[in-house]
Amino acid sequence: MTGRPDDLVTQSQQGQPRQQRQPRRRSAGSPTVAVAGPPVDYRVTWPRVVRSEWAKLWSLRSTWSILAATLLVTAGLGAVVAGTYQSGDGDGIEPVELTLLGTQFGQILLAVLGVLVTAGEYASGMIRASLTAVPRRLPVLWAKAVVFGSVALAVMFATVFLTFPLAQVFLSGTDMAAGLGDPGVARALCGAAVGIALLGLLCLGLGALLRSVPAAIGAYIGAVLVLPEVVGLLPYDVVDDIVACLPSKAAQALMMVDPGPDMLAPGPALFALCCSVAATLAVAALFLRRRDV
Amino acid sequence: MIRAYGLTKRYGEKTVVRDLTFTVRPGMVTGFLGPNGAGKSTTMRMLLGLDAPTSGRSTIGDRAYASHPAPLRQVGALLEARSIHPGRTARAHLQALAHTHGIPRRQVDAVIDRVGLGEAADRRVKGFSLGMGQRLGIAAALLADPATVILDEPVNGLDPEGVLWIRNLLKSLAAEGRTVFVSSHLMSEMAVTAEHLIIIGRGRLLADTTVERFVRDAGLGEITVVSPEADRLRALLAGPDVRIEAADGRPDTLRVTGADGERIGRTAAAHGIPVFELTPRRASLEEAFMELTRDAVEYVAHDDDPTTPQPTPTSQHATASQGAAT
Ligand SMILES: Nc1ncnc2c1ncn2[C@@H]1O[C@H](COP(=O)(O)OP(=O)(O)O)[C@@H](O)[C@H]1O
Ligand SMILES: [Mg+2]
Repeated sequence: MTGRPDDLVTQSQQGQPRQQRQPRRRSAGSPTVAVAGPPVDYRVTWPRVVRSEWAKLWSLRSTWSILAATLLVTAGLGAVVAGTYQSGDGDGIEPVELTLLGTQFGQILLAVLGVLVTAGEYASGMIRASLTAVPRRLPVLWAKAVVFGSVALAVMFATVFLTFPLAQVFLSGTDMAAGLGDPGVARALCGAAVGIALLGLLCLGLGALLRSVPAAIGAYIGAVLVLPEVVGLLPYDVVDDIVACLPSKAAQALMMVDPGPDMLAPGPALFALCCSVAATLAVAALFLRRRDV
Repeated sequence: MIRAYGLTKRYGEKTVVRDLTFTVRPGMVTGFLGPNGAGKSTTMRMLLGLDAPTSGRSTIGDRAYASHPAPLRQVGALLEARSIHPGRTARAHLQALAHTHGIPRRQVDAVIDRVGLGEAADRRVKGFSLGMGQRLGIAAALLADPATVILDEPVNGLDPEGVLWIRNLLKSLAAEGRTVFVSSHLMSEMAVTAEHLIIIGRGRLLADTTVERFVRDAGLGEITVVSPEADRLRALLAGPDVRIEAADGRPDTLRVTGADGERIGRTAAAHGIPVFELTPRRASLEEAFMELTRDAVEYVAHDDDPTTPQPTPTSQHATASQGAAT
């Protein structure tokens, strides 16, 4: 996701300067529609595709409502949980974990938005317009990932750094009192934001792959959220090792101040999660290139 | 300029477009005609790179569509299937597409004006009528002032006013020197808008010709002759390649096939037979179109093995028409 995708490099190399295109238009006897101002270089470029995806994201009401809901639900649940908490209730739970209980819901909301960004275009047929404008196709997927990934990350950072202090207002004096300066707390909060944003990106990939909003949401809940819990019940150590690397478990590990023995450490957890996301997007890219729209 | 070379598309076992080769030239409206299910939309999607051809290829402006650095500048397309998110306003939809090419805002305003979307531009597409949706689709097609315009069944479901608007728009786009390729399953619609016709049936090319020539060819050479000495003339014209029928209930009228007006006139003159009327019958476009596509339907009915090419009336007709057009 970082750096310039190969596809675009090729594209700009092939891109002709406008001077070369003009005579062809004229020989086709096509007077252009009069638009005042200097000639514009109409080429598809990477920043332009990103700009288009940015405009697409924010011109839908669902984006605003889902992002607002993600923040409000997470912060609201954090406040409710904290407000009703009494010392001794949270056996084995970390303060950060407790205040971020609402992310269980917030994460699903963000996942739905990730799915809508890609699969939503197939539902509306918008994808045909998008891919007619950018027939190389892959830049559209990368731009969606970059735009949604950045927005998801920003919103999740805002969410966790709002929720934690808010919940802590109610928790002072209990055994869950903690501060941003306490060891590991800031890191766990960042981990939570990054982990959930990455899960959203995974869903964006699932949406592109499955091309259907319900199918992608179903796959996320079934295969990503529920399956690891079920498989984790199997009494084999190897299974536990594998389960710990699965996206939902890795994201969970990222928000721990002190990950337990059956969880990955923050570094490996981030790596595992990034691998899952990259693999999903890579398969989605392969399909996007090959399949008819 | 659009060129297709042996375009073929199979969906599973079914060959939907078969070996289509044609050229669409700038400066005129070219009608892409065929009954429903003939493969028009599939062909157009292949031209735009949305569907990959099973074999064959196509170019627009001398390159494959996808290899243009500014594709929307080359081709503006209105697809048959809906390709607009209903939750956006018309302006937001156009603006999002415009961003991919760095098209300035004023150009977005210009196309909104050109298609007459007006105040509706800031309403969400969800509440649009069919006609307004179609105007928005056309605005998107014209966004980058493209050299080629591809419209799939643009008049489908429109009210008479909308139909008229599209007709005039197509003509003015062609007059501006653009390549205009419009599909329809209605011959009558193409007759009034198109200058050139590419007709397909069951995925095969049936004719590539001008509208004018198509009508003339389709007249089947039948000539109506009215003469007080019809019986005598009939005997004189008779021959192995000439078919003569009496018109129902009119003893003075003959319908002659296989002899042209000149031969009939000279024969009558040579024998001093007065002729009151000598009229080549022009088949209506709709009749001619049905004639052509009926062949295609029959072809498929007998086509047990689709992989073996068989000489049939259909393919002969196609060859003849193509020859005539070039
Ligand atoms: N994606 C697809 N998968 C399978 N069959 C298809 C697909 N798209 C079109 N067809 C079939 O191809 C034929 C031609 O369809 P189409 O190109 O839409 O024809 P037209 O536009 O001339 O009405 C139809 O029989 C249709 O059912
Ligand atoms: Mg169609």
